[in-house]
This record gives sequence, structure tokens and C-alpha cells, in this order.
Amino acid sequence: MKKRFLAIALSLVMAAGCVACGGGTDNASEGGSGSAEGTEGAAGTSEGGSGTVVVAMGAGFSTLDPGYVYEKYPPLIVNACYENLFKFYDNEGAPEPCLADTYEFSEDNLTLTVKLKDGITFASGNTMTSADVLFSINRCKNLQGNPAFIADTIQSMEAPDEKTIVFHLTQPDSAILSKLTYSALAVLDSAVVKEHGGTDAEDASTTDTAQAYLDTASAGSGMYVMTSYIPDEEVVLEKNPNYWGEATNVDKYIIKIQPDANTQMMTLSTGDIDVALNMTDDTMAELSGAEGVEIINAATKTVGFVMMNMNETYGGPVSNPKVQQAIRKALDYSGMQIICGEGTLTPYSVIQSGFMGSKGERAAEYTNVEEAKALLAEAGYADGLDVDLTVSDLDMEGILLTDLAQKIKDDLSQIGINVNIVSQPWAAGYGDAYRDGTLGFTVMYWGTDYNDPNVQLEFLPGGVVGLRAGWTAEMAPELAAMYQETMSATDNNDRTAVLEKIQDAMYEDGPFIMAVQAPAHIGYNTRLEGVAISDPYALDVTLINIK
Amino acid sequence: MERLKFTGKRLIYLAVMLFGVATLVFILTKMIPGDPTVANLSQRALNDPEVVAAYKAKYGLDQPIFVQYVLYIKNLLQFDLGTSIRTNKPVLSELARCYPATIELALFAILLAAVFGILFGVISAIRRNSILDQLVRAVSVTGVSIPSFWFALLVLYFFYYKMHIFPGPGRLSNSFSAPATVTGMYVLDSLLEGNLPKALDALSHLILPGTVLAAFTMGLITRTTRSNLLDVMSTDYIRTARAKGLSRTRLILSHALGNALIPVLTVIGLGLGNLLGGMVLVETIFNWPGVGQFAYESVLSADFPSIIGVALLIALNYMIINTVVDILYGVIDPRVRCR
Repeated sequence: MKKRFLAIALSLVMAAGCVACGGGTDNASEGGSGSAEGTEGAAGTSEGGSGTVVVAMGAGFSTLDPGYVYEKYPPLIVNACYENLFKFYDNEGAPEPCLADTYEFSEDNLTLTVKLKDGITFASGNTMTSADVLFSINRCKNLQGNPAFIADTIQSMEAPDEKTIVFHLTQPDSAILSKLTYSALAVLDSAVVKEHGGTDAEDASTTDTAQAYLDTASAGSGMYVMTSYIPDEEVVLEKNPNYWGEATNVDKYIIKIQPDANTQMMTLSTGDIDVALNMTDDTMAELSGAEGVEIINAATKTVGFVMMNMNETYGGPVSNPKVQQAIRKALDYSGMQIICGEGTLTPYSVIQSGFMGSKGERAAEYTNVEEAKALLAEAGYADGLDVDLTVSDLDMEGILLTDLAQKIKDDLSQIGINVNIVSQPWAAGYGDAYRDGTLGFTVMYWGTDYNDPNVQLEFLPGGVVGLRAGWTAEMAPELAAMYQETMSATDNNDRTAVLEKIQDAMYEDGPFIMAVQAPAHIGYNTRLEGVAISDPYALDVTLINIK
Repeated sequence: MERLKFTGKRLIYLAVMLFGVATLVFILTKMIPGDPTVANLSQRALNDPEVVAAYKAKYGLDQPIFVQYVLYIKNLLQFDLGTSIRTNKPVLSELARCYPATIELALFAILLAAVFGILFGVISAIRRNSILDQLVRAVSVTGVSIPSFWFALLVLYFFYYKMHIFPGPGRLSNSFSAPATVTGMYVLDSLLEGNLPKALDALSHLILPGTVLAAFTMGLITRTTRSNLLDVMSTDYIRTARAKGLSRTRLILSHALGNALIPVLTVIGLGLGNLLGGMVLVETIFNWPGVGQFAYESVLSADFPSIIGVALLIALNYMIINTVVDILYGVIDPRVRCR
């Protein structure tokens, strides 16, 4: 009887095991053939010539309403479902006309006139007119959400006819074309959005109710339409049947939210996904040499920087220009690149490599501990000094800022600077202190709001970030004046010349050290072509084809 | 009448507890440092006083804390948990969206844990000090001690990535679209849709995360079942029953197991309550969009209405489970009913 009871128990265990394995086998067979609901989707390589591409991204988002988007990944979806007057077709290129046919600046650079292309239709079948453009930009402005700043230099707009939009600017703005590529200024189908409670009125921040609709459906003219969105899980995009342009051969995208890099590596290897956007150095190593998988390691324009407050009250010894120079000389930029991973680089100065006008990279030989010690002695700290380095809990493209802080501490110990790392959560004090300019010495990152070198002008004296380092325009009036000079230079050659002057001026001086440009690691299935790193869109799905 | 009185008492107790939890969590979230404006507005937007003011007005953050509290309790009485600062959607609908995923996984995990835990516990007790007993005890200790995130990566690596036995992360394979939402639980909704392959696919996706989550509770259940069964087996009434010539199987199933299971029920209840609160790391690794991930994102965004919503949900879980466990005590052991 004892044996019989044990036999029954063991049989139960085995039966449960068989049921479990059965589930897996069942799934595998379906993935392979796509039989049961093959038309519903596809699983990367497992479906061979399928027209579906599965992309994994590392984080969910709060909204897909273009009027509110500012997070990293929504532009991927907005760029697929909506279009802007201008677009970046190349990550390192200049903005090119998309919905715009022609454009022209007035002589005083205060007016921009844009003509729309003919025959543009929204996914709804409605024809796009200049009224839709006005509605979309005014709505973004008046919603007063995170991206509202993007339209700051647009004083007013008018639409003299159905195809023409005239922008009146508050000041010459050499970045206006780049700003018009930003997802928040995507052109919406105003009829559809109004039908769902949208408004571009001045009180839109309290009266517009279209966000709920735009979080579940798209209302644009892009190559794809959003057919499903399950928050924190997946977004499904299907080809827009009314697309006016030339579409790629990808019929459908399934965008999966996969926060863990190991998970992305495994799902890419097994063919469950086709593109993994958030790999890490470790997971890339696992993929190296894997059959059917291609990898990209390249620098993004997100930059990690050291900030030394110019105000002695907060900065203490690091407000001393000689100490700043010593710190700049002492940092081991090559070592930081190793910490951040393959693809990382150190920009020459304040303009990241890849931007128009950038002077490229800072030479590795710049680091010189002996010169740094001499500079420190010149500053009156021959015996070294003690300083607090405040660091937040944020990460820069997956790299913890605390890791960078540890490296800085280690590097500065070589010249006698004893760094005490002080951790402070971003939302619990650090953010306020950073914004108020009361942090003395910190390491932080800066993600580009829009893809244009002018975003870096905020680091100039008197700029938004400059002031956070206590660097007022009065402290360096010549450099501060270059802000306006750059803004007014709508000619690219003129702008490049000013940007180069700024970089040279901040190469060895000032409160900021641009330490690293963070890398992006993308893995993708070799059945695809056109996969590339994209700063403005994270991944431009409208350029991807299946081989 | 007695039963009505008992239920009424329980409901009043539940309401008072929920009110207490709501108040406590509200005070705690306001006391801890963390500014939702800083957490949710971009660096650019934070520099624009108009944008900051509009944001604070929209979520009532410009009101004094006492006014915020009164408004919150007033809304709570109307089953309105407020609007999520992170997603701008009602917290109730956000919880309704992610809770079914957690329930589905938690129920699967607790079922695994209970079935195998009791089975292993019984085997271990009746084969006391044998190799089988040692093996079961080793497995249960491992289950209790193994860090869930590491176990999750391990099973995913071997059983999905290397051996291709089980499906990978997520709730469904790419070849299936999500079923129409009725319960929010994919297995059930797929069956309601009449789509058996989809239901089996959803079920197969539960196996790995379910096993990982079950490991801890299963270890506890095994140990509790074993020790209680051994205690019961040494009591006088069992000795008497054995003297009467009852078979060992009948002795265990009809006389010993029922009494031994009472403390096990408590463990199962607590385990379920724990699982229903969401498991951030396991949910993250398996891309399971449940309450754990929602809570984690809410904390990062200092999304106070959502944090309070999750806290209330967890409190409600435990209260309901404890009530059910109390009732089940009575079902298993008539002496409890008499008391």
C-alpha cells in the first residue's frame, strides 16, 4: 500500500511535468508554422518571409499623444504613424523636407514660409491642409505639456491658402527646421482629433480631452497606423492603406516593451524579436558571432558631463578656474569610455560628435596627471583638497551615473583631490538643487531635446544649464553673445563657424567637462536592412526593409 | 443570523482598515521626499513657470495638503482613486488593466505551489529521514532561499534560450494577438473567445514565471506540511486509528492530512497575498505587465495617487484572503466552526 501511494504521487508529478512541456511544444509548433493565426502576426525568423517585424524597446511610456510626447521611445511610434514638415532621414544629416515641398526664410530671418506637398492624405482619407499644421502646432503650444517649449520661438502662424503656412518667429532661429522635425510638432488630422475632444485653443491645457483617444489610436499621415496599444506590454502598427508616399515592405510592426537587456538578447537569439534596442556590453558579447544577428555599437548624442559651480558659495574650490582646468586634465576619458562600453566617445567640447559644426572628439592624450597636479598647485592647492561630488540615481542610456562618479573619484585621487560621493535621488532633492543651481560639483547627463546643435547653447554662460553652474552672462559676455549669434545664423556655414568658436572657447575653460557620449547597442536580425541608430526617433522604422 | 452578523462585522472591519491604510499611505507618501513635478516634467519644462503651474493645478498639487487629503478621501468614498500623474488616466482603470495579469500569474503560481508543496510535504513526512525526504527538504530549502530574479534569469536562460522547451517572456507568442478583454486573464479570455490554441499558448507562457514565483511558497508549504503531518501522526487519535487496523493511506488522507493542513492554509493565504501584490523583478524579466511593474514605475515617477491605489489594493488582497482562510478553517476543521 505504501508503494502504491508513492507510485500515485510520482505519477502525478510526472503528469504535471508532461502538461508543462506540452504547453511549450504546442507554442513552438505554432511559432514555427504560424498556422493557427498566422495572419495575426509573426515571430521574426521563425516565420521566414513574413512581413512582420518585432522590435523590443527598454521602457514603456506615459503617452503617445504627440502633443505631450517627450520621452525617449514614443518618437519611434509617432514617426511611424505621423509625419512632420521636416524630417531627419540621416542621423548625422540636416533636416530635409517631408510634408514640406519648399520653404523660404525672409531676409530678416523672422519669417519662414513653408509650402505643403500635393496629394498628402491622412490615414482617415482626409486631405492634409495648412489648417491641420496650424492646429497641431497650436495644440502642442497650448497644451503646455513637456514639449511645449519646442514652439517657443514661434510667435504666430497663418495659413494664406490650403498649402501654405507662414511662421512668424520671435527671433531668428537657426534651429527652427530641426524643431519642426520634433514628434510633438507632428501634423495631426485635425478633424479626427477635434471629433475626439481635441482643441488648439489657448485654454487647451484644461479643455483638450483627446489624449485618451490618441493613446489608443493614431491620427496621422504616416506609413503606419496604430492598431493596438497595451500599456507596458506592446504596440502594434499596421500599414496605412491610404499612405500617400512610397512605403517599405514591412507590413506590420509589433513593438514589445522588454526592460531587461538579457531578455532582449535571448528573444533576439531565438528569433522571437527582430530588433533589440537596449542591449548592453555584456549581452552584446553573448551575441558576438551569433548566426543571423548583426550588432551596432555607436555613440548617441546623450552626453555625460561634469559640472563645477562657478559660484564659490556652492562650488567652493571647484569654482576656481585653475582647479577646473586641473580636473579636466586629470580625468581619464579613455577609462570612462571603457566603463560606458563599446561605441562611447568623448566629444571635443560642448557640441557632440555627430552634430553639424562639431569638432569631433577630444584626443586621448589630453589627459595629463602631471600637468593637472601643476595646475592644482597654481590654484593654491598643492597639498590637494577635499570636495563633495553629488550624484543622482539616474542612469544615462543604461549607464549609472554613480559608476561615472566612482571613476571621477578614482581619477581625481591621482592628483590629490579627495572626492566624497554624496548620493541624492533625482526626485527627492537632487532635481530641485540642480535646477536651482545650488549643486557645487556633480556629474549629470544631458539628452538632446531636439536633434540640433543649438540645444547645446544652453551650456553657455547665461543659458539654462550655464546658470545651473552659476555661470552668468556677465562672467563671459563674449561667449554669452555667441548664443544670439548662433541663433541668427540660418546659413549652415555661418552657424558652423560660430559653433566652432564656442567649442574652442570651452575646450579648456568653463564649468563643464563633456566626459562621454553614451553608446547605444542595437542587435538585429540579418533579414532586415536599414536598421540604424537614430537620435531623434530611437529607430526609424520607416527606413527598414526585409531583404 | 449569526452568519449575517459575522459578515457585517467583517465588512465594517474591512472598511475601517481600508480607511486607515488610505490615510497612512497618504501621510507617508507626502512625508517622504519626492516631488512629482520634478519627477515627471522634463528639464526644459521645469524652467517654464507657466508649464509648472499648469501641471500642479491639473493634479491638485497646488492645494494645501489637508485639502488634498479631504478631496482624496471624498473621491475614495465614490470609488474614485484619482488620476495617475504618470499616465494621466484614472488609477482605477490602470489597476483594472494590470491587475488581471498579476491575478492570472499569482493563481497559477499558488496552484503549483500548493499542489506540489503539499505533495512533497506528505511524501517527505511518510518517508521521514529517507533519501527522498532529504531530497525534498533540500529542494524546499532551495526554493525558499533562491533569489527570485536570479532563478528567473536561470530558468529563462536554460529552458527558453538554450533548450527551447518553454516559450519566452510575455503573455502570448507573436503569432497571437491579445484576446478581447473580458476578465483580462489571457487564458480565460482566449477560452471565452473559443480559441483553444491561443489559450494553450497563454497557459504555456505562465509556466516559467509561475514556477519561479511558486518556488518560494512551495518551499514553505512543503516544510509546513511535513512538520504538521509528523506532529499529527504522533497524536493519540492517530495511534488509536492505527490500532484499529486502518490502512496507512486512509489514515493519512482521512484522519491526519485534514488537521495538518490548517496551518498550511495560512501559508497558502499569505503566499497568495504576497503574489497578488506583484513581483517587480520577475515581472520585469518576463515582461509581465502586472501590478508590480506598475507600482515600480509609479514610485519612480512619484505618482502618489497610483502608489496609494496599489497600497489599497494590496491591503484589500490580504483582508479578503484572510477572510477566506478563516472560512476555510471552518470547512476543514469543524471545531473552528463551533468556536
